[in-house]
Amino acid sequence: MNSEIQSFIEKHDLLGCIQCGRCTGGCPVTVRTNLNVRRFVYDSIDESMLDELAKLPEIWDCTTCNTCAVRCPKGLKPVEVLIGLRGILVESGVIQPTVRDALESVFQEGNPWDKPKATRMDWKDGLDAKIAEPGESVENLIFVCCTVAYDPKLQGIARNLIQILNKAGIDYGLIGEQETCCSSEVYNLGEAGLFEMMVEDNTELLNGYDAKRIVTVSPHCYSTFKNQYPQLKADVLHYTELCAGLLKDEKIVLTKELQSKIVFHDPCYLGKQNNVFDEPRFILSKIPGVSVLEFDRKRERSLCCEGGGGKMWVETESRKERLAETRVKNARELGADILAVACPFCVLTLDDALKAKGLEEEMKVADILEILGEVAG
Amino acid sequence: MKTFVCIKRVPDTSEAEIKIDPTGKGVDSSRFSFGINDADNYAVEEAVLIKEAGGGTVKFICMGPQDADVMIRMALAKGGDSAIRVDDPRINYQNPLQAARVLAAVIKSDEFDLVLTGCMSSDDSNMSVGVALAEELGVPHAAMVKKVEVGDGIVKVQRELEGGLSEVVEIVLPAVLTIQTGINVPRYSPIRGLREAQRKELKVLKLEDLGLDENSVNAANSMVELQKLYIPEVVSNAEIIEGEPEEKAEKMAAKLVKGGLL
Amino acid sequence: MGDILVLAEHRCNELREVSFEMLTAASKVAPQLGGEIVTVLIGSGVGSFAEKLAGYSDKVLFVDDPLFANYNSEAYQKVMSELIKQYSPELVMVAHTTQGVDMAPALAVELNMPFVPDIVGLGAADGKLVPVRLYYQGKVNADFIFKGQAPYLVTVRESSFLADEPSKKGAVEKIESPLKEDIQYRKFVEYIEAIAGDVDITQADVLVAVGRGIKEEKNMALINELASSINAVVAGSRAATDAGWLPHDRQVGTSGKTVKPKVYIAIGISGAFQHLAGMKSAKTIIAINKDPNAPIFSVADYAIVDDLFKVVPKLTEKLKELRK
Repeated sequence: MNSEIQSFIEKHDLLGCIQCGRCTGGCPVTVRTNLNVRRFVYDSIDESMLDELAKLPEIWDCTTCNTCAVRCPKGLKPVEVLIGLRGILVESGVIQPTVRDALESVFQEGNPWDKPKATRMDWKDGLDAKIAEPGESVENLIFVCCTVAYDPKLQGIARNLIQILNKAGIDYGLIGEQETCCSSEVYNLGEAGLFEMMVEDNTELLNGYDAKRIVTVSPHCYSTFKNQYPQLKADVLHYTELCAGLLKDEKIVLTKELQSKIVFHDPCYLGKQNNVFDEPRFILSKIPGVSVLEFDRKRERSLCCEGGGGKMWVETESRKERLAETRVKNARELGADILAVACPFCVLTLDDALKAKGLEEEMKVADILEILGEVAG
Repeated sequence: MKTFVCIKRVPDTSEAEIKIDPTGKGVDSSRFSFGINDADNYAVEEAVLIKEAGGGTVKFICMGPQDADVMIRMALAKGGDSAIRVDDPRINYQNPLQAARVLAAVIKSDEFDLVLTGCMSSDDSNMSVGVALAEELGVPHAAMVKKVEVGDGIVKVQRELEGGLSEVVEIVLPAVLTIQTGINVPRYSPIRGLREAQRKELKVLKLEDLGLDENSVNAANSMVELQKLYIPEVVSNAEIIEGEPEEKAEKMAAKLVKGGLL
Repeated sequence: MGDILVLAEHRCNELREVSFEMLTAASKVAPQLGGEIVTVLIGSGVGSFAEKLAGYSDKVLFVDDPLFANYNSEAYQKVMSELIKQYSPELVMVAHTTQGVDMAPALAVELNMPFVPDIVGLGAADGKLVPVRLYYQGKVNADFIFKGQAPYLVTVRESSFLADEPSKKGAVEKIESPLKEDIQYRKFVEYIEAIAGDVDITQADVLVAVGRGIKEEKNMALINELASSINAVVAGSRAATDAGWLPHDRQVGTSGKTVKPKVYIAIGISGAFQHLAGMKSAKTIIAINKDPNAPIFSVADYAIVDDLFKVVPKLTEKLKELRK
């Protein structure tokens, strides 16, 4: 018992913390919740407190945007302390039923949405979409993402990607029904055991394709494959990286105009965590008629939409304005017609926020693939 | 307390479009997801809670194919001791009385104080196996149980009745209880625990191992026979209520009150 | 020989409607079976019920004994078992209710009766009974026949048959209770009423849920009125709880709660995926939304495509009328 808890302190290098407060100072949810991550780093040193700390509701307010980790001068990751505490709760078995259901669903059906494996590819019905064969060589292995595959609001994003790739005439292949959850959110919810199992199984699956690179639709899948799957053979790209390259090489040709003011919202998992800032902007700037606006809080300082970190399955207690609502207000204040995103969670939270603020007549939230889909020939 | 819990693997058809298969007596299940029957999941949790409070054992019984092992291991990981899966295609699962006969054969070969089943399965909704099982075992029972209090040689249970009313009854052990959903909050069993559950005993049995003659449980000797399955004429998608707003309101109110939906 | 034995159901001095529904269903097939409709009434001091039941029966067998002051499935089973052996009916009907399911399967095993539970239809073709039941949460019908020997047993789902007006004048025959002493191994203790108070939407039978469509908090008033007219609990989508119209513990959806009520009335809810995931297993879903393409209709059983502000007040009014 002692050695296990000892490793919590060691694992998170809690003694390395100098309590400077840069983490909490940059944490986006502090404006609306009680979460004080600096306190958690400090309190977790007392190993007898861990079980109690694990039961506090504010540990679920964390979106795992990783701003704290990016800012820490000692290179610590306060976010991991919160995830570790979630893990203690998960191991006890006493977790919110919505989290329980999501985790059991990943284990049994390969997605957190309680949907059958067999319907994972329904989104592509009627579309000429290529499926990759394990063992055969494929240049771009496309990883769709559970949420995109199953949520009717998002399925159009995947359809757009396929149509664009078809028109570009490049070699790609989908994984098909075998595709199972990257488990980024499983990790963030604290189920380390399930995450390890999924990493093992997914690595075997993905390595079974002779793929040059894996291209993901979601930055969450992208970041997880890139940073948490050590044995993965292929390179990992986000679709914005692929499409930016294809635009440069004129494989994607833009035949239509789009007279719009577009502001791009940097997804945390693409931008501040993996430094992919330029490719999405490049794509937008290439569209005739588009003028690209910028938030004040752009790039590394982008304001988290509160979609990640398990927030699809756990509500905050706070009644204060959601960060996504703040974001759409800012976008409207800039005069944007379109709030462009490159992450399915951002699409969902920002679109919800748009409707909550009653702004749907004045502005749209759209994934870059949807925008590209309208202008690519 | 020596407890047996009967668990069933069922499809999730809440959103699925159901297609009748070519035999006209089955459905195409190729696009369903499967998992533990909801009410059974609550029964599993209740059994584990009883064990955690007062000691004893929890053993699971499942009738089904190897695909059910995942679900059985998940239950074992929550605090079960061992499991028996009866895998025999000769069993006519569709008839709840025949299903109960198989379960009884398993339980009779062992000692037991308490048997828990879900009150209803989400695919067949017969609400019959548990109570039939009690009769097969020759023990008292209570159905639709929302609360269990263990006493000395007895259990005091609350049965959920219609209209928000509950009935409290006292039953002498050994007994069978059929468990209603909402009795507790089923725990999550972390995957790390599943590894340990792999080491718990999961025996797979056939009718011969239970000393059961196939004629007592097969379709040929079932006393009822399914003639055909069919999609009811009322559109399986939404029935659209027509008319002016007032008419729509009237029609819907009638369906709610007179049509017994409430 | 061709008789149908129907077990009347009552509780707390109320004869339940399902008794008349079963008797009506029996009357539709009785001609084909060629026998009598015999109602069994078991209770203590429920003589007035016998008269009412006589309007639907050829005969009422009335067991009036203090042993049956409160329902006890084991006690009822003893009586039914004796009566069935004595009267050899062709068909026995019990209600598919919390009382009925607590007894019928055990009775079927005890007497080795061909048994079809939860029937929603009962036909007869060539003198053969065709009980009909539902599978997969009501999505599929199933026709059965009895293969074994009578007596047959069915439990009958409430509100599947509409009770006719009484048209018979059955004789009421008081008979002695076959059960002579109290059952020792199962005892009725008491009834407990539901406590009004802290609301757990996951336990509610009927939910009225609101979404963005109601536009403002002040419109919650008409929703609350609808809910109280049918003893429903009010819940909401994330939009409603976000807007502060409802406390967070009323939120239905993947980041709120998953509910499985008997009836879910979704008002002004579009049906985002995350919301549907929280309520798609409700037994009956009624959706009111003016957008015919709202995804909520894909899981609804009843669709009202109209302006909720026009429909809901009328619905409340009609419901109040009908429930009087």
